[in-house]
Amino acid sequence: MYILKGVTRTHRKGPTALRDVDLDIAGGEWLVVRGHTGGGKTTLLNILGGLDRPTAGTVTLDGADLTTMPEDALTRVRAKTVGFVFQTFNLIPTLTAAENVEAGLVPLGLATVERRRRTAEALADVGLTERSGHLPTELSGGQQQRVGIARALAKRPKVLLADEPTGNLDEDTRDEIIGLLESLWRVYDLTLVLVTHDPAVADRAPRVADMTRGQLTIRG
Amino acid sequence: MFFFTYLRRELRRRIRQTVVTALGLAVGVGLVVTVIAVTTGVGDAQAAVLRSLYGIGTDVTVTTEPPPAPKPNSPEADGGFFTPGAAEQHLDLLGLPPGLGPLDAASVARIGRQQGVRAVAGGLSLIDTNVTVPAADALPPGKPPKLPTTFAVEGVDVGHTGLGPYASGELTKGRNLTKADASAAVAVVDSGYAKANELTVGGKVTVAGTEFEVVGIVRQPQGGGAAEVYLPLARAQAMAKFQNLPDLTGKVNKIYVAADDAAAVPALRDRIEALLPSATVTSADSLAGAVSGSLASAADLAGRLGRWLAVAGLVAAFAVTALLTMASVARRVREFGTLKALGWRGRRIVGQVVGESAVVGVLGAALGIAVGFGGAALVTALAPPVSATVAQNPGSTPAESVSINGSGMHHGVVDGATHTISVQLTAPVTLTAVALAVGLAIAGGLAAGTLGGWRAARLRPTTALGRVD
Repeated sequence: MYILKGVTRTHRKGPTALRDVDLDIAGGEWLVVRGHTGGGKTTLLNILGGLDRPTAGTVTLDGADLTTMPEDALTRVRAKTVGFVFQTFNLIPTLTAAENVEAGLVPLGLATVERRRRTAEALADVGLTERSGHLPTELSGGQQQRVGIARALAKRPKVLLADEPTGNLDEDTRDEIIGLLESLWRVYDLTLVLVTHDPAVADRAPRVADMTRGQLTIRG
Repeated sequence: MFFFTYLRRELRRRIRQTVVTALGLAVGVGLVVTVIAVTTGVGDAQAAVLRSLYGIGTDVTVTTEPPPAPKPNSPEADGGFFTPGAAEQHLDLLGLPPGLGPLDAASVARIGRQQGVRAVAGGLSLIDTNVTVPAADALPPGKPPKLPTTFAVEGVDVGHTGLGPYASGELTKGRNLTKADASAAVAVVDSGYAKANELTVGGKVTVAGTEFEVVGIVRQPQGGGAAEVYLPLARAQAMAKFQNLPDLTGKVNKIYVAADDAAAVPALRDRIEALLPSATVTSADSLAGAVSGSLASAADLAGRLGRWLAVAGLVAAFAVTALLTMASVARRVREFGTLKALGWRGRRIVGQVVGESAVVGVLGAALGIAVGFGGAALVTALAPPVSATVAQNPGSTPAESVSINGSGMHHGVVDGATHTISVQLTAPVTLTAVALAVGLAIAGGLAAGTLGGWRAARLRPTTALGRVD
């Protein structure tokens, strides 16, 4: 699915975020990228999601080169193919749980009825049907992350990119969220790339890569 | 639609900022509405003055300079009627106002034959002066004699009462002058003058020592008309004879002309100027320029200061709106970054921000109209009456009296050389002003929203997502 060759990302200020990264990610694979803060994990995830472009190297997704793709096409990739889950949930505070999930479907141009149907389905998948009318401030951290996952999944993406999805959660909730992600990965045959610095999370994944100062080392 | 759900919720979340931004716009827009209302009011007042001087339906007036004054000590200058005698003298004189000379009534017919003339009428503006000359030995040393009293008399062409200042009066009692009154001793008096002198229909008014029966009372639209007493033209012409006053039989001193259409007025003016080279031909436009007094000052103030005040207010309101919108966008950077990560296009994000600003603009427009109406009502309530002064012969400088006293030369306008009308300034809010307010407020909102949205859309998603709230 993903093929990265010699991917390097430098910034005008600060150290090089990625150094000559080569990586193949197969469709339906669950890869955990672990490492310390500032090691380049998020930069890698942003490049995989088409939010950022490498300064050198190539990234292809199902044969399409993301590094040379026009901005509009990249936007379409983000809208249809890739779902993001954020560490800080990034829910829109004025919208209810259901409306936040619906916001992820807006770029697809679906009819309202279809959008609402998919929203209800996604919220049911994460077990939040009862809380669909609640604002983010009325939900616990775990519930907010479930909404974030539902928002990413509602569009039925091929790829799910999760950036420290349990970073803001306690241990019990962390296990609950990782369990949910694992279950959804299996049910929807997702390609899951999860970034974490938590060994307990990394241990759940079949494939783990370590990121240190922009360099990636694959384990196992 | 999701657009409206998002928009509604965002505005509700930022209700305080929404109201403050809308109020900022409202102040600017309200200022514009108020200034437009004042300008309209000043325009209305000017129009009222011009109507009062010209009469409804008159497009062009024709006047002329008076003949040169006789040289001092010449036989023509020896009026004699101000010389104190052995007994007290009461004089009631009817003469031409200073600055206005006689025109042949035949000129009326000549103008009437010009192309583009719909109707024409001659009028005779006169001043009735009541003077009491005390006996020579009754005049205390150093004490000036009693000042003369004057009132304006207008000789009306009873065949064309629809032209001239008489036409703008509204009959409140009695009847109008008719063709049958051409040589009758009848008069129509102004309501203000009638009230001040306790005149009623059927009563008598004395002009130049002759009694006229009051057949009607008219009220001018604002501030009184051009005359206090309206007489049939022929009677007025015949009355203006006293010692060395010019014989005004067959004379008029104002010719009122109605054009076929407004667009033809300038050409008609040119034709009349060619026909009567020595006459002063005035249209409403040129008369407006000749008006002085507090109305002219108000017009100048509304035109200059008002315009700049409105522009400054509007610019400030737009700046405040833009800054608040930008501040709002800056606070929502992470939110916009998330939307980009979800696949929202930049223009959809711009549209969302612009939509929110447009609603603020509509709110600002509604509040601005309310502020505008309030401002206009305040101006109407507090504005003092304004006066407009114009020379009897609008094209000329009013005749001046010159006296020498201890402090040197003193110049003053001769009584009756000018005509002063008092009008109450109002500030009517027009539909155009309301439409402009709505347009400006929405444009302001849209401009601010576009700027803010464009800034939000330009943000790199990674930068936006990395922003710490």
